Amino acid sequence: MVVRQYQQELEYLEKITPYSWRIKKGFQPNMNVEGVFYVNQTLEKLMLDELRNACRPGMVGGFLPGVKQIANVAALPGIVGRSVGLPDVHSGYGFAIGNMAAFDMDNPDSIVSPGGVGFDINCGVRLLRTNLFEKDVMPVKEELAQSLFDHIPVGVGSKGIIPMNARDLEEALEMGMDWSLREGYIWAEDKEHCEEYGRMLNADPSKVSVRAKKRGLPQLGTLGAGNHYAEIQVVEEIYDKSAASKMGIEEQGQICVMIHSGSRGFGHQVATDALVQMEKAMKRDNIETNDRQLACARIHSQEGQDYLKSMAAAANFAWVNRSSMTFLSRQAFAKKFGMTPDDLDMHVIYDVSHNIAKVEEHIVDGKPRTLLVHRKGSTRAFPPHHPLIPVDYQLTGQPVLIGGTMGTCSYVLTGTEQGMLETFGSTCHGAGRALSRAKSRRNLDYQEVLRKLDYMGISIRVASPKLVMEEAPESYKNVTDVVNTCHAAGISKKCIKLRPIAVIKG
Amino acid sequence: MSKRLLNALEYPQVDSLDLNDENTFRKVIAWTEMNRIQRAPPNIVNILKNINARDWQEVYTDYKDRMGCPALSSKLEELHWLLGYAVQLETQKNRNVYLKHAVENLQSTNVVPSVVAENLLDKLDFRCKEFADGINELAKTLKTAPHPDPFVTLKAVRKVITKRLAPDCVANPQNYILTGTPFPIQDADLGFDLNNATLNQAAKILRMLYIQDLRDLQTKANELIVAVQGVTANPKTDTKLGQVGY
Repeated sequence: MVVRQYQQELEYLEKITPYSWRIKKGFQPNMNVEGVFYVNQTLEKLMLDELRNACRPGMVGGFLPGVKQIANVAALPGIVGRSVGLPDVHSGYGFAIGNMAAFDMDNPDSIVSPGGVGFDINCGVRLLRTNLFEKDVMPVKEELAQSLFDHIPVGVGSKGIIPMNARDLEEALEMGMDWSLREGYIWAEDKEHCEEYGRMLNADPSKVSVRAKKRGLPQLGTLGAGNHYAEIQVVEEIYDKSAASKMGIEEQGQICVMIHSGSRGFGHQVATDALVQMEKAMKRDNIETNDRQLACARIHSQEGQDYLKSMAAAANFAWVNRSSMTFLSRQAFAKKFGMTPDDLDMHVIYDVSHNIAKVEEHIVDGKPRTLLVHRKGSTRAFPPHHPLIPVDYQLTGQPVLIGGTMGTCSYVLTGTEQGMLETFGSTCHGAGRALSRAKSRRNLDYQEVLRKLDYMGISIRVASPKLVMEEAPESYKNVTDVVNTCHAAGISKKCIKLRPIAVIKG
Repeated sequence: MSKRLLNALEYPQVDSLDLNDENTFRKVIAWTEMNRIQRAPPNIVNILKNINARDWQEVYTDYKDRMGCPALSSKLEELHWLLGYAVQLETQKNRNVYLKHAVENLQSTNVVPSVVAENLLDKLDFRCKEFADGINELAKTLKTAPHPDPFVTLKAVRKVITKRLAPDCVANPQNYILTGTPFPIQDADLGFDLNNATLNQAAKILRMLYIQDLRDLQTKANELIVAVQGVTANPKTDTKLGQVGY
């Protein structure tokens, strides 16, 4: 790799609008297309500081800076348009988290990469609304948090409480949310308000290793650890009244429940298995990448197809997982308030995936093209009238759920036409890490973090409190900066701001 | 008309018959009694069968009185009555068969409407001013915007009547009239521009109609899922299975 000074590196970067930067070809070797990243002033500083640190002598090994990773993705075979970094971008395995890239399905050289999806396949966020208000919940807040904690299994090694045997798992992997529907855990409207209607049709459980299934079976219906959480939130601000009303959010103070979870150990194992296969495929097909972590295979090769089918099964796992937790949350609320979930109007507003690769139709250079769109730490944000979004949101655009970090705000955005043109209908997914997990553990004290939450009036139930500083707001970029950048750049539009009052964590 | 009855009775080669001919007349009477009515004693049947018999006329008079034929002014009318009587007997004999097919027959007539002999609407002049005025008046009463073509207005009026003035709808309007929060569609993004305000407006209205259709379809799909859930659903939890909470 070329070693350059920070000042020399900057020559390849150009600010094209107040909220976006171009990464010119040559920044990394063999770039097929240019890169772009969206930042405001604060995020821009974080981004460039990361690059500057990496340019210091002796800084080798470890994760590459996000901006370098975006450029490496631009060098992958078959990429079209631009390699896009969203405002919450930070270093990840191969692809940066917050990077989206689209590959032409009709180009035989195009690739699919597990690094472009991430290890937690179909990690995503689901938002439930209620007809309760802050004043109804405040007196019972602690009990409600405890009730949620009692219902939803959390933490490393937790096990689900919905009985499942191996056959159930096979069916769930193939059917996704249709399985949850069939068994009666969820409502028909939940499916309607879920990306892909909660089921990837190309899922093939026979392509998934026994090991993955063994890891997955006991974990179905569990929240997991890391940045995953279930939160009781209050509507703090409504920016777009009519769009919010379409989502059933009428007033400030309304109570919502946000569930952020993924495919647990199952998805991780699927990705690990695929990486091994892909390294072999790369040797066989002579695929060259700038980074060993960018293991990939041609989309139409056996390995590529096998990965897409097992990834789809993992995606279905994640949807069943979030559906099971939806069921459990409804139970917890129903018991606490002595009303049915129906009476509490606990409908799913939407369910988004932010670690997934999907085949989509897009217009590139004025022509319709079929693309394999990788979104890693990036949320699909389709504009109004797009055929793949639910009928209820045809006028508003797809709701985009942005989960904040523990103790900070979350947002609901909507997709825009401009996002469709600039970023293949993609936007940010959350705050995005600023400090590594290890750095957070070194720099922060967990008791201090918990005290601060208490001071803010947020009830917290956490399975492993000593890891809480990894998820402290200080370890992340400011989610408001991230969301405002997306709004200002026009790639999605602010609709609702939510504030947590109780957090359940792994 | 008699020929239609004969057709119904499946008399051979009805079209070429001349019922005014005495021989034909006698043959038809004999055939109908022997094959369809079958109510006369054998001695009468034997004479009716022999159309050249001298006492045929007398026996026939006796026969029709036995069957209960009223006094009619001509022989053809008597024949018509007897044929009608035969058809009636046949219908009664096969009553169950006809009833069973009635539904199917009705359905088939609905698809291809047969000509209704006396339909007052057939004689209406749909292009006359009176008709157009009437329709517009009706539309005004129902608060429907009139269209230059009265037929289109009539269709719209029909929709309003069948949807909103059905007895159940009048009794329980809350079940039919959709309520919702208004959405500022004029500010909504159309997704494309036709460079003409009127066309854009029309496209927006088409979008709305399409969304309404889609909503109907999705609601039906949801209802279907719920119906299936009624059979398959059995959600259960077992808190013993996992460690819940800490």
